[in-house]
Amino acid sequence: MQERITRSKSLLRFAFVMVALVLGSAPSVAQSGADNDAHSAAKPLPLSQSGEDDQSGAVDDQDGRTVARPVHALDHHMLRTVCLDLLGRPPLPAEREKWIDKDLRDFMKESTASLEFWEHWLEEQLYYFLLINNFRPESEGVQAVPVKMAEGRLNPRQAVHRIVLSPSFEMRNPGADTFVTVVMEQLAGMRVQKKTRELEIGKALYDGNPGVFLEHRGDSQADVVKICVESREFAREFIAREYERMVHKEGLAKSLSSWSRTFHREPVSYRDRVREWFVSEEYMTRLTEQHPLSNRAFVNALHVDLLGRMPTKVEAEPMREALDGLGDSAPLRSILARLLLDSGRVPIPKKSAISDPRKWAASLFPRFFGREASEKELNAVCGALDEPFCRPSTILYALLSHPEYHRF
Amino acid sequence: MSFETHRRDVLKIGATAGALAGLGGWGLAQDGYGRRRDKGRTEAMPAIDPDAEPSVKHVIFIAMAGGVRSRETFGTPANVPNLQAMADEGVLYPRMRTSNLGHFGATMSIFTGISEARGIRDNARGTDPTMFEYIRKDLGLRQSDVWVTTSGGPQQTNYSYSVHPDYGPKYGANTLDGDGIFNREFKELLDAYGRPKEMEESEQDLLDKVRKGIGRATDAAENAAATENAAKVEKYILEELTRGTSALRGANSGDAKALRVARNLVSLFKPKMTGVVLQNADVAHGSFNGYSEVIRRNDEAIGEIWTAVKEDPELAYSTAIFVLPEFGRNKDLNSRRGLDHGDGSDDLRYVSGVAWGPGFAKGRVVKDDVRTIDAMYSACNALGAAPALAKGQKLKSLLA
Repeated sequence: MQERITRSKSLLRFAFVMVALVLGSAPSVAQSGADNDAHSAAKPLPLSQSGEDDQSGAVDDQDGRTVARPVHALDHHMLRTVCLDLLGRPPLPAEREKWIDKDLRDFMKESTASLEFWEHWLEEQLYYFLLINNFRPESEGVQAVPVKMAEGRLNPRQAVHRIVLSPSFEMRNPGADTFVTVVMEQLAGMRVQKKTRELEIGKALYDGNPGVFLEHRGDSQADVVKICVESREFAREFIAREYERMVHKEGLAKSLSSWSRTFHREPVSYRDRVREWFVSEEYMTRLTEQHPLSNRAFVNALHVDLLGRMPTKVEAEPMREALDGLGDSAPLRSILARLLLDSGRVPIPKKSAISDPRKWAASLFPRFFGREASEKELNAVCGALDEPFCRPSTILYALLSHPEYHRF
Repeated sequence: MSFETHRRDVLKIGATAGALAGLGGWGLAQDGYGRRRDKGRTEAMPAIDPDAEPSVKHVIFIAMAGGVRSRETFGTPANVPNLQAMADEGVLYPRMRTSNLGHFGATMSIFTGISEARGIRDNARGTDPTMFEYIRKDLGLRQSDVWVTTSGGPQQTNYSYSVHPDYGPKYGANTLDGDGIFNREFKELLDAYGRPKEMEESEQDLLDKVRKGIGRATDAAENAAATENAAKVEKYILEELTRGTSALRGANSGDAKALRVARNLVSLFKPKMTGVVLQNADVAHGSFNGYSEVIRRNDEAIGEIWTAVKEDPELAYSTAIFVLPEFGRNKDLNSRRGLDHGDGSDDLRYVSGVAWGPGFAKGRVVKDDVRTIDAMYSACNALGAAPALAKGQKLKSLLA
């Protein structure tokens, strides 16, 4: 009997321990909608440490359960870099408040479901095809792409198809030779010098003559596009360039092959791929690198960092076009920074209103550089602010024209 | 009939009878290479290389890209009175062989001296050095001495330098796209925001101090290198925006702006090398008349550059000009009464180019085949640079 009671108590104790373990690894209520995967990496507290101060950074939330620090907790640097790579702009002030110390996976899930993600995606595709400036498509079909993609009514393959069928694409690439060459090169990644026969067949299709182009029958310009867009080569080329665009390096052949096969079967899987890329080891390595800020991203960054908002199209396009018109855009970037700072539109505090210059200076570094300032840097900035003719806008200009602002 | 002369015979005459070769139009003695002897004293010069081009001091190199047939240029002299006049005073090459590598690839080949296929919409720098890098590296020139003006958007800024490890961005040219910067929309934006305020010297010093105090140690060097050139480019852009360039309109507005900017740069800064890349002739795909109009207007604008050079005492006798297309166009019109470029005909594969400058032959027509990639070789040589990796060779019969 005694033995039975002892055994029962052991069983009860064991059951209690198991329940405690399960509760410790369950998703937090505050993180509704998160994938289970997001928290599978969160380690439950070992029993011996239950109730003791946690050294791993876990935080007691209000209902008494401990919440492990996310594997990829967003700091200023990561948030700024991810926003620029994913959305072509740094984080908005409200986003900095919301997402610092939160999980990258959650950020990715929310951002890739947003309309803005697809709007930026479209801009990147148009730039890839150089459908910019006078060649920018204004047709309703192309304008509707981001909304339809956000609503799941269009996938990336269909969207690219729509872009390439637009009148702007034809205008940009006039004539059979140019059109078919560009379609073969940019959609399917082919070098036409090695596919001269296919090029000639494609040109014949362009002129309305029937033929077998890339192993498919066709007899029109539209068929040339359709055949290329629906090809495996398109899937390979698309995935490879998207990966390189976001991660800033070529993908491993094996991974690219697997991803492109999946994309070829299910183009809607593209968004899941993007989410994976940003939490991969390769992206963590990317975070240790610095890459030049593109002209479009610079224009966006200038407006977000100074005005707390994205530029309108009327503001952004002339600036981006002008910057693109320079082999080295640094001089014009400098002009644009001064232009905004001197325009009266940027809320810059008066020097007399800055009660704590050191604190004010320290706040600028996460905002513009995605990192904390060192003591030496704070001394340099505060030393300058002490000079009578130094204005706060001088400090802002120093940061905006510094090489570090133009890398990320 | 070939107009070949024996260069070494010319050299002998020039070397032994330099004083009798004639005083230049500006009253100073010159040797057979057009190099000046100032006030009876020979300027310190490197030993004469008998194969060297005459040492001109400035080169303007115009790639009349966009695809231009000889039929519509020198085949129709009424279209190109200025280019014809230049050919009458210089050397015409009616048989420049080219390859249809797409606009981007073919134009890049002109600047690198290497024929290499590139994707039509490739938007990346080449791997072979361009003439701008050769010139800057060999002659130790600053960035402000070498400019390129373009008309075809961001892709064309890739001509300014390559990613070759021995050359690259530190030897690149300043590049300006005329239409990208000097357009109505950008001007209106600047007008709406107001121009940036001039900075006092004391504030500028403070700015430099703050910049040096933040970031990495290597950033300071990057800052310093960029500052001098940046100030010049900034000043130029703001001034050019007040001139009429932004208001240029019409069939060749992009080209017109590139040529106008080049003209102003040449007059203001007198760079060693000014490259110009045109593009609007490609309107030919859809309109033969539009294409002809572009050629006429571009000829007029090239004439303005030539006039500006000839009227400037510093430039008049020390500037060489090269003008050539990247390839031609098809022999026959397409179904839209336009001209494509893909039929492999002689109209596509052979173009006409012209070279004018001190020490160059005058009124010569070289009927032998040369290549478009040879032009950059001669342009580099003219300034004293050697394009080590280029596959082209000097233009035949260029020298007097």
